[in-house]
Amino acid sequence: MSWHDVGSLSDLEREGRVIGRVDGREVGVVRSGGELHGVRNRCPHHGGPLCLGTVEERLVGEPGSYDLTGITVLRCPWHGWEFDPTTGSCLDDPALRVAVYPAKAADGRVLVDL
Amino acid sequence: MIDCDIHPQIGDPEELLAHVEEAQREWFRGQPYFGLPGYSWTHPSSWYRQDLAADGRPPGSDAEAVQRELLDPSGTTAGVLNADDAVLVSLMPSPYRAAALARAHNDWIRESWLERDERLRGAIVCPAQDPEAAVREIERVAEDPRFVQVLLCGGSERPYGEPRYLPIFEAAAGFGLPVAIHSGGEGMGIAAAPGGAGPVTFYIEWHTLGSACSTMAHLVSLLVHGTFERLPALKVLLIEGGIAWLPGILWRLDTNWRALRADTPWLERKPSEVAREHVRFSTQPLEHTDGRDELLWEMLEAAGAPDVLCFASDYPHWDFDDPAFMLKRLPEEWRERVLHDNAAALYGERLGLVAA
Repeated sequence: MSWHDVGSLSDLEREGRVIGRVDGREVGVVRSGGELHGVRNRCPHHGGPLCLGTVEERLVGEPGSYDLTGITVLRCPWHGWEFDPTTGSCLDDPALRVAVYPAKAADGRVLVDL
Repeated sequence: MIDCDIHPQIGDPEELLAHVEEAQREWFRGQPYFGLPGYSWTHPSSWYRQDLAADGRPPGSDAEAVQRELLDPSGTTAGVLNADDAVLVSLMPSPYRAAALARAHNDWIRESWLERDERLRGAIVCPAQDPEAAVREIERVAEDPRFVQVLLCGGSERPYGEPRYLPIFEAAAGFGLPVAIHSGGEGMGIAAAPGGAGPVTFYIEWHTLGSACSTMAHLVSLLVHGTFERLPALKVLLIEGGIAWLPGILWRLDTNWRALRADTPWLERKPSEVAREHVRFSTQPLEHTDGRDELLWEMLEAAGAPDVLCFASDYPHWDFDDPAFMLKRLPEEWRERVLHDNAAALYGERLGLVAA
């Protein structure tokens, strides 16, 4: 395990993500709950570039009502499946999980540990 | 690889309108989205793959984008351009406007797409609500061998086996063109409601039921009307209506055929056998099976797979099937036929790629 630079913090704040290549793997970093989280950029459902998806707040609700949860999800840009960037779990299919990695910011750069 | 379903997007409305006759151009220019029926059910965030760069235009709105994002990386040798929303001309209240827009769209496809990449092929848009005008348009466009199918939408006033539509199928068969029926438009404009039980509530319902139910209805209708007995050369390609239901509906139809022959005594053969010969199905969106793909393949084999299946990506839509992913997911012994041979045989000489 070692820290790898995958992009600039300003890009992450502007775009909602940065994506870099580490040892042949694409890894993205997104922000959830104020913390940075590394996520492999490959959706375990269909192989899509998961980290190019939207980072947004998950909805819940009783039938007919819509409520925000405060839970951040990463939603795949292809088919829209939602993942928890802190654990890698697909929120609607427990059989699917994407690899996640520790991430941090240092001196304006974004680093992931793998 | 042959892709049966690529959707060219209209990046510059004026580029399409330039092909509308001058006396009608202002009318189309003044309508929301060219006067095509609007969607009552829409995707909660986007119709498109959200990873595609677009610079303010819809993704996939020029041949270069399709080359860069689909044809080149997948090694696609031929891809059929099926009109996106413009296929809904058949659901416009005015058949005259519908005919004008269909004509313009076919000419736009020829000029702005087919001229720019020899791998691309066209699908003829026509106004199904006015079959005589539809036949005239098919006859006008089919002269160009780069158009490889006639395109209809899943949404319709009545199922396509109805005699009123027969001239469209007759014209297509006469030119050796399959008729592709692409899901979409159910419940819009002059179309019947989607789902079979009245208008649905949500997009998730529309997307689950509307496309599958209309596809089933057209399949059964064409079979029970004896369309393929009337037109032995006719082939039909059903696009984007799902396929996991296929064996079930054919078993059900065969069962009823045995019991209810008196209703349609002209059907001399089991409908499922006729379907195997004359009907093809696009794979996308191939149902996710929660790890039970073996079961899906076995069921589809009962309905004639792999010989009845043709690969489609649905680029650039949100529910597209990635060619590379499908290459891995399909059973190895199916791949060549589903990804290439079946479509090559379906389109025949017009594709210039006849199956071995």
